[in-house]
This record gives sequence, structure tokens and C-alpha cells, in this order.
Amino acid sequence: MATAIKKKKSLVKNLVRFSVNGTAVELEIGTLPHQVETAHTLAHTLRETLGLVGTKVTCDNGACGSCTVLMDGKAVLSCMTLTVECQGRSITTIEGLADPETGRLDPLQQSFIDHTAFQCGFCTPGMIMSAKALLADNPSPTEADVKEALSGNFCRCISHYQVLRAVMATAQGGE
Amino acid sequence: MKPFIHINALTVAEAVAALAAYDGRARLNAGGTDLMGLLKDEFLPEYPQAVINIKNVAGLDYIREEQGMLQIGALTRLSDIASSPLLRERYGALAEAAQAVASPQIRNVATLAGNLCQDVRCCYYRYPRHIGGPISCARKGNGPCLAVKGDNRNHAILEGRKCFAVCPSDTAVALALFDGQLLVAGSAGERRIAVRDFYTPLGNQLGKDELVREIELPAITASTRQTFHKFTLRKPIDFAVVSVATLITVVDGVCSDARIALGAVAPGVVRAAAAEEFLRGRTIDPASAARAGELALAGARPLSKNAYKIEIAKTLLKRALLGHPPAKPSQGIVHDKCPHVKTK
Ligand SMILES: Cc1cc2nc3c(=O)[nH]c(=O)nc-3n(C[C@H](O)[C@H](O)[C@H](O)COP(=O)(O)OP(=O)(O)OC[C@H]3O[C@@H](n4cnc5c(N)ncnc54)[C@H](O)[C@@H]3O)c2cc1C
Ligand code: SF4
Ligand code: FES
Ligand code: FES
Repeated sequence: MATAIKKKKSLVKNLVRFSVNGTAVELEIGTLPHQVETAHTLAHTLRETLGLVGTKVTCDNGACGSCTVLMDGKAVLSCMTLTVECQGRSITTIEGLADPETGRLDPLQQSFIDHTAFQCGFCTPGMIMSAKALLADNPSPTEADVKEALSGNFCRCISHYQVLRAVMATAQGGE
Repeated sequence: MKPFIHINALTVAEAVAALAAYDGRARLNAGGTDLMGLLKDEFLPEYPQAVINIKNVAGLDYIREEQGMLQIGALTRLSDIASSPLLRERYGALAEAAQAVASPQIRNVATLAGNLCQDVRCCYYRYPRHIGGPISCARKGNGPCLAVKGDNRNHAILEGRKCFAVCPSDTAVALALFDGQLLVAGSAGERRIAVRDFYTPLGNQLGKDELVREIELPAITASTRQTFHKFTLRKPIDFAVVSVATLITVVDGVCSDARIALGAVAPGVVRAAAAEEFLRGRTIDPASAARAGELALAGARPLSKNAYKIEIAKTLLKRALLGHPPAKPSQGIVHDKCPHVKTK
């Protein structure tokens, strides 16, 4: 009996629960192929375990911003976050922006398209997530606010100028 | 990343007990923005056996005033420090220093204690395993310092002895300006360490079973002018080549108190005592500011490739004293000056 209880307890402990784009996710922690290892980053789990490959990994070292997701509404780097430490958090990725019913893109996504705010597009999901966090916080940012909010997102194709215009166009009172 | 045992500490006592149990083979994880680099690149000779998550330790996230002292909890995030109205108003140099760290995403999770306890950025020390590291050197207790004969562009010009890696923390510079102290908890109880004394030639003063619980700053009485200037090669997401924090009190046009802290020039934070002394009782003008710069860097002993830092430090200090505004991170994107893009 005692061991049964202990076993059950350890089972409960070996789960991590959080939500991704509004859907509850419950993952086992362990070393089996289907499980999340303690050393897995959130970026790895999103892409490899959950199949959400919209989040991109470029430097995998905190320096480029392409893996940016929202955690409880704040822009964070999923490559520098351990999945096992996401217990109870609410994660939003680029896949969570479009309307799930109609498939209609978020205005920010549409604005990036309208302003051709990318070339290869690898940095774009991270750019959009950082901009999303900014606009939720400050719907009418100045250009300086946008530059500051996106200062952690690096674009190898130098889309920064167009990105700035795309974000300003979406912002209230923009353009 | 290679596997490790993951421990969730919910109290300071639990974290200390776990540190003691692993006897130097476990690492605390606060924001994780520095620790992940260590785990991913495996640049230390020994990979940690365990990671102790302290994010969920309750009651370590606060900025408050108590009996005239300002107290900041170890887990307070840099984004909260940068935007705190209290700090902006009275400890502006600290708010500016926090704002100057890395990127918005990193500041959203990075903690003040993690910023102070982060490991150095020396390119030999951090050389990743997946491209042939780790590399042994004096800091790892094995061999000489490789930077002395090698690439030392980002290394110390002051106070280097065994290891010439500089203290990478921006907030440490501001905290040293305010004579800040760290409240450290360990198996044997609590003790205080001044930020200025925290960094040692090969690391910091923390014992294997100790962690930083709180950062404490004395009250700022007189109305002071504070600045934090950071010179980097690219504006955002970059470590300081040199940083300078100043606190100046001027009464009737004469400087009554001057404090100057220099960052990224030494293994710890340097307070420029001679320059501070010189400025007291003088008016601050281009001549006295330039003289203060000379005095602050008088003891500099550059390595083969980093004498350029001396001039940068002098210039930053001069600008700070004369009240020039520091460069903003967003100025990295010189949007208005790009000849190819027309904006309204
Ligand atoms: C791309 C990039 C750019 C950066 N730029 C800058 C910069 O410009 N300026 C700058 O100052 N830093 C910079 N950093 C370094 C650093 O990640 C951050 O400054 C951050 O503040 C570290 O805080 P953290 O909470 O994430 O630390 P963690 O990674 O959680 O911890 C860092 C270290 O401190 C230890 N530690 C954590 N908390 C405690 C505690 N309470 N007591 C004792 N030890 C503790 C950990 O065990 C670990 O060894 C940068 C990092 C990256 C990846
Ligand atoms: S500066 Fe320090 S860390 Fe870098 S090689 Fe020399 S001893 Fe090692
Ligand atoms: S992939 Fe995460 S910051 Fe570059
Ligand atoms: S569009 Fe190619 S990296 Fe930004």
C-alpha cells in the first residue's frame, strides 16, 4: 500500500502541465522517447514533441530572438527556457495568432505580409511575437517604442525597416 | 543539453540544502539566461549533476524601502528594475543599468542576483565543447591565462592578476556606485558582502552552499544626478566594452559628492577613488571632467590588444560628468539615416 501511494505520488510529480495557444498540454517527464527530458528547452518541446515548428531556433543561445514566444503575455526566449519549469504557464506561439475558426490571420501577421516585412522569413515568427507583446502592453507605441521592443530580434536579411513600418501600421493611430 | 537531475526548491532553506547536498556539483537556475549557455556549451570541465530551480522560491521578488534602506529581492527581474518608478526616481543609474542588459526577452526573465552571479564571457573560457572545447586556463585551475598572449580585446585593463576576464554584469556597476551589499544565505546562516568585494580573482565570494537572497542599498539623501553609460560594439544584445556609472551632487555649482564606478575594465567593479576625491569641491567643466578621466584610468595596465579601452573609459566618464545623454539601445537601428529607405 505504502509503495503504491509513493508510486502514485512520483507519477504525479513527473508531469508538467501548461497551456499552448489555449490548449492544455500534459507531458510526462522522463528519458523515454515520448517523454520530456529535464534538459529539454521549451523551443525543443514545441517543435519536436508538439510539432509546432512555427517557432524557429537559430542561435539556440539567447542572442537572436527567433525563438521568441509569449509566456503569460510576456515575450521570452523559448531556447533559454526549460520545459520542466513551465508548470502552470500559458504559452502563445505564432500558430496561436490566427483565428482558429476562420483561419484569418492576426492583423499583425497580415501587416507583415502587406509590408513584405521579411525576406527569408526565419526571424519573422519571433519578430511578430515580440511585436505582439508590445502592442498588448502599449497599443499606440512610438517608433522608438517599437525599436526598443524589437531590439532583441535579429534579422539576417535586414528586414528591420519594413518590420518597423508593418508594426506601426498595425498600431492604433499608426500610419 | 546533456541530462541533469532537476530539483524544484520552494524555499531558500531547500535551495541551500540542495546546494550543500551536491557539494559544488549543482547549479542554481534563476532566469536561466546565463546558466543555459553553460549547460549548452559544456565549457566547464565538469558538467553539473543537478540544476536547482529557484524561480518558485516565494518572497524573493520585491523592491521595497525599509528603515531608509532599499531592498531588492534576489529574484526581481531586470525588466521590473528598469521600470520601477521608485528606482527610476532615486536610483536611476541602477534602472538604466538594468535596461542596458541584453534584450527585452532576456530582461523579462533575468534576475538581479543571476545578473550579479553570471559567469565571465572570456572567449577561451566559454569555448564550447561542440567545436573542440572546453579549453583549460587559469580560471579553471589548469594552466596559464590564454588571453594574455591571445585575444584580449575584451579583457581587463585594471586589477587583473591571474585571470583577466572582466566582470560582465551591468547591474554590478550601478550597485557598487550605491555601495550596495549582498545578503547571502548558506548552511551556516546569513552574511553580508559588499558588491565591491564580491568578485575575486577567479570567481566570486559565494561558498558552495550559499546563495544571494537580497541586495541592499543605503538611502540616497541629497538630490543627485546619476548616469549609466555603456559602450558596446552593437547597441542591443551586447556586453559592455566599458561602462561607467556616476553619481554627482552639485550644491551652488560646486560638486559636493562624486562617485564613479567603472565596469568591464577589471575582474570586479572599480570605484575611481582618486577621481572622486579630485572632483569634490570643484565645478564640473570640460577641464575637470577630463582630469577626472585621467585620474580614474591612471593605474591602467593594458594587455597587448586592449589599450583602446582606456580612451573609451575616459571619454565615457567625461561625457557622463558633463551630462551628455547615453546612447539608447534602439539607436542600433539607424532608421532615419538609412539612405535607401524613405519614411514619412
Ligand atoms: C545574448 C545574451 C546577452 C547578454 N547581455 C548581457 C548584458 O548586456 N549585460 C549583462 O549584465 N548580462 C548580459 N547577459 C548575461 C545574463 O544572462 C543576464 O545578465 C542575466 O541577468 C542573468 O540572470 P539570470 O537570472 O537569467 O541568471 P541564471 O542564468 O539563472 O544564473 C546565472 C548564474 O548565477 C547563479 N545564480 C542565479 N541566482 C543566484 C542566486 N540567487 N544566488 C547565487 N547564485 C545565483 C546561477 O547558478 C548561474 O551560475 C547576456 C546573456 C545573453 C544570453
Ligand atoms: S582571462 Fe581568465 S577565463 Fe580567460 S583565458 Fe585567462 S584565465 Fe581563462
Ligand atoms: S534561438 Fe533562441 S534566441 Fe536565438
Ligand atoms: S527575413 Fe531572413 S532573417 Fe529576417
